[in-house]
Amino acid sequence: MGGKLFFWLVICFPSSIALLATTFYQVLILSDLEADYINPFDAASRINYFILPEYIGQGALCVLCLFTGHWFMFLLSLPVTCYHIMRYVKREHLIDVTEVFRGLNAERKFRLAKLVMYLILLIVVIFWILAAGSSIFYHNSKFEELDIRLNTLGY
Amino acid sequence: MGTENPGRPGFPARPASLPFAAAPQTATPFSSTGPVAGSEPPSFRPTAMPPPPQASSLFSSSGPPVRPGVPGFRPAPPGTFNDPSVPPPQPPSANAPPAAGTFLRFPPPPFSSSGQVPPQQRAPFVGPPPIQQSGSQPPSFPSPPQPQTPFVQMGSPPQSISPAPMGSNVPPPTPTHQPPFPGYARMQQPPPAHSSFPPSQGNYGPPPPPVSSPFLPQPGGYAPSPAVAAPLGMQPPGSGPPIGGIQGLAEDFNSLTVQTRPGTMDPLFDSSELPRPLDGDVEPKNLDAMYPMNCHPRYLRLTTSAVPSSQSLASRWHLPLGAVVCPLAEPPEGEELSVVSFAPASVVRCRRCRTYVNPYMTFTEAGRKFRCNVCTLLNDVPSEYYAQLDATGKRVDLDQRPELTKGTVEFVAPAEYMVRPPMPPVYFFLIDVSISAVRSGMIQIVAETIKSCLDELPGFPRTQIGFATFDSTIHFYNMKSSLTQPQMLVVSDLDDVFVPLPDDLLVNLSESRSVVETFLDSLPSMFQDNANVESAFGPALKAVFMVMSQLGGKLLIFQNTLPSLGVGRLKLRGDDSRVYGTDKEHVLRLPEDPFYKQMAAEFSKFQISTNVYAFSDKYTDIASLGTLAKYTAGQVYYYPAFQSAIHGEKLRHELRRDLTRETAWEAVMRIRCAKGVRFTTYHGNFMLRSTDLLALPAVDCDKAFAMQLSLEETLLTTQTMYFQVALLYTASCGERRIRVHTMAVPVVTDLGEMYRLADTGAIVSLFSRLAIEKTLSQKLEDARTAVQLKIVKALKEYRNLYAVQHRLANRMIYPESLKFLMLYGLALCRSMALRGGFGDAPLDERCAAGHTMMVLPIKRLLKLLYPSLIRLDEYLLKVDLKSIERRLALTMENLDSRGLYIYDDGFRFILWFGKGVSPEIARNLLGADFAAELSKATLSEHDNEMSRGLMRVLEKFRNADRAYYQLCYLVRQGEQPREGFLLLTNLVEDQMGGNNGYSDWMLQISRQVQQ
Repeated sequence: MGGKLFFWLVICFPSSIALLATTFYQVLILSDLEADYINPFDAASRINYFILPEYIGQGALCVLCLFTGHWFMFLLSLPVTCYHIMRYVKREHLIDVTEVFRGLNAERKFRLAKLVMYLILLIVVIFWILAAGSSIFYHNSKFEELDIRLNTLGY
Repeated sequence: MGTENPGRPGFPARPASLPFAAAPQTATPFSSTGPVAGSEPPSFRPTAMPPPPQASSLFSSSGPPVRPGVPGFRPAPPGTFNDPSVPPPQPPSANAPPAAGTFLRFPPPPFSSSGQVPPQQRAPFVGPPPIQQSGSQPPSFPSPPQPQTPFVQMGSPPQSISPAPMGSNVPPPTPTHQPPFPGYARMQQPPPAHSSFPPSQGNYGPPPPPVSSPFLPQPGGYAPSPAVAAPLGMQPPGSGPPIGGIQGLAEDFNSLTVQTRPGTMDPLFDSSELPRPLDGDVEPKNLDAMYPMNCHPRYLRLTTSAVPSSQSLASRWHLPLGAVVCPLAEPPEGEELSVVSFAPASVVRCRRCRTYVNPYMTFTEAGRKFRCNVCTLLNDVPSEYYAQLDATGKRVDLDQRPELTKGTVEFVAPAEYMVRPPMPPVYFFLIDVSISAVRSGMIQIVAETIKSCLDELPGFPRTQIGFATFDSTIHFYNMKSSLTQPQMLVVSDLDDVFVPLPDDLLVNLSESRSVVETFLDSLPSMFQDNANVESAFGPALKAVFMVMSQLGGKLLIFQNTLPSLGVGRLKLRGDDSRVYGTDKEHVLRLPEDPFYKQMAAEFSKFQISTNVYAFSDKYTDIASLGTLAKYTAGQVYYYPAFQSAIHGEKLRHELRRDLTRETAWEAVMRIRCAKGVRFTTYHGNFMLRSTDLLALPAVDCDKAFAMQLSLEETLLTTQTMYFQVALLYTASCGERRIRVHTMAVPVVTDLGEMYRLADTGAIVSLFSRLAIEKTLSQKLEDARTAVQLKIVKALKEYRNLYAVQHRLANRMIYPESLKFLMLYGLALCRSMALRGGFGDAPLDERCAAGHTMMVLPIKRLLKLLYPSLIRLDEYLLKVDLKSIERRLALTMENLDSRGLYIYDDGFRFILWFGKGVSPEIARNLLGADFAAELSKATLSEHDNEMSRGLMRVLEKFRNADRAYYQLCYLVRQGEQPREGFLLLTNLVEDQMGGNNGYSDWMLQISRQVQQ
């Protein structure tokens, strides 16, 4: 049980918060760019700085979920991972300063969609944390092996 | 407004154009009859109109007259009066739905003629003679009063009344008929009309004539319109007889009849009737009369000089909606731009929308306030700029204020328009000295040319200059003024490039003049024996960037070998024909290494503009190198297989032009327009600095930029849309300047009107840019199909406008204004950048052509797409001295084997010798070896009259456009394959390989249109 809590609280929770934050930051920069509060050079370099870490982090989380057998989490993050892989393979993952305005709207929409995905992920993670925590503190150990759905029903 | 430029033609024009607005004026003229008018106002309206137009023009200067009339007439007056440009929009609504549309359409000019014409026709119809006079005469005679008087009297009877109703009645019919009418005006179907209409005439007859001009569109159908059309020059040449039937509508479109080939069922067009742009580019003049204060079309052209009023209307316009801007276009000899300085005050601009002061701004409140024409905000006039208004409401100092009378002016920008002190002109030369460059003789010519231009570089004495050369290492030259000899510094560490001497690599030309000259003298010999085959282009670029980043400026790259060392190294690609037609095809036209895009972005950021001169006979990846020019407002010059003996002259001229033409440094450009419309995409060589700000590190007269606009609001309520292009730049003299071009165009509610005011040149320019951009993400085939599809959609929509009233079977119809669009579309699909596939154009040439077409101003682009073909032998033999001005259609049929022809696309001349050309001509022009193969022959002047005559002709053609130097290629009939690729593939009207000929293309389009 402790391992579960560790997994959710120490690995998934911070990473999904981080993903959410970077994406939010990118959306913010893109909005600033459109409103002309920032020049395209700075905007591109700031956004590009975060892109690879984000891709790696997201990919790692996805793989971790797969190997630890958290199927639901894995399936939830799979679309985003696929999207990232596709962008990376096409070499379109970085913002292109010279054409940034041409794809501005599309870029922002994709990021907003990602933001929503990450938000869902975070909510799910928080739920698991609560579930895992509650199973430790409020329930007897005999419930431990039960399926999580039982736990939730217990609430 | 009235205050501002009452005197201006523009002012009067506006009001006049409105059917109603005009009325007032007429009234005024008649002032004597005044009472009558006053009493009758309502019924009167229509009648009044007739004279108006003219009256307006006549009185143009007289602001006052307008007023008196106005009150009697309509609610509009106040509006009109104040603001000519935006006049009557509101008022009309009640009476005249038509008004809005109408007024837009017809510029004053038409009137004069129109007025006259109608009368005659009218006469027959209108029973009462007096009326006719009134209608007809006013126009022709300055003194409207006379006609009027009779008229007025008439007014009381039914007729006078009828007009009024007419106004109201008319609208209903309009919707359906509208399209047809506008055009028709000229139509003069008088005879039919009369007969058919007799009954109605009573009502219509009288009023229309006068009205007609303003109204054409609506009432149009009837008689009135006739006059107008003619002036507009819309005459349909090919138009068949009016099919309209009862109404006797005339056509305002052109049409071609599909015939059937004798003996078969294949339809075809008579190729001799197809329209051809043999006069080259014709700048649109439609709005000259309506908005005489607009900037000249050489600076700004819209694809249609009529902005659609609603999104739904815009979506029916399938052609691009946008503008082509050439901010620094060269004015003709002797025409100077006015430079205005507001010092010590700042530049006068609208507080809210930042529009610069322009002729369409109106001054009110005794000159203390001005109303912005773009956002209608009332601004305070800065105290330094204050001037009283005279009785007519215009500023008393109007004649000393070019910014209030001209569409194009330059403002001297004060310090708040600078982020740093204005930079001096900077020229940096990066020259390839590897073995192939040495062998081609390029270095020699470049050095000589630069040396000869030193005196003419702009910006003396502040001009700065620097040089670097590269092969497998990078060489810098210390040209400090205290040295007698330049000092060469070699950097061989390509992985970690550094600049050996931070200063003194870029030196002031006037101080170091002698060192620079010594360097240029010795440069060719310095590398004479260089056997290095490598090219460290990428590292050299980085090093040069370090040198230039302090100041910015212009970087000229002379590149002869595919970059092979260090960052940015490129590999041979594009020789695989299998890639064509697959999804990977477009990748060939994109930069291979992201390094080039990054560098371009950095260059743009530090105000460096890059011109690439490429000379290789092998693949040099123009797609990658051209990227440097693309984002830095530069240009690509490509001389495939450069040999100094052959191409030297071309390089010399073009480099010279590049170095000496007027250049604007560290520039940014923005185009503003009124609310409701927004420019969304931009096409050309520049980098976007924010959503609507084009960064142009260096820009000159040979560069044009295109942009597309979209409607943001579903409905535009204004009558006029204003566009203002502002280019903020540092002039070579070190002054910061703002060049402002202002243009007003009408907002229309009618699709037919948009077609009527369409500008083929601008549309083709945007088309070609869109198509070339498309080739960067899709297949060539797709880009060509897209062009064709757009033309088809546009024509289909146009056809739908007329299909109801006309029997159009077997006929292809198109607007007069777009009659060349189909041919240019075909030429575009067959241009170097878009034609065929793998075998049809070498990849480098294709990319270079694409880069070139992205910057070409409209005129030059049209010439490139449809070059001129002229027969020379008759001129040289003095048989027919006029023949040299006669352009021929680009088809094999026009090539007589006894003739000598010149093909001129603005970039090169091709002299075609027919097989049967008289030996005398050949000998005189080519010298003794006239029978030899022409691929080796060069054209030089021989000592005879004919040869000198030819040289004069060539010189004359070259002088017509100095941006590029046209090298003369000689080719003899039947000399394959040279004749094929030099000339025959370029005869766009002929069918060639898989390409369509002109008549096939038209047939294809007409079939798709009718589907």
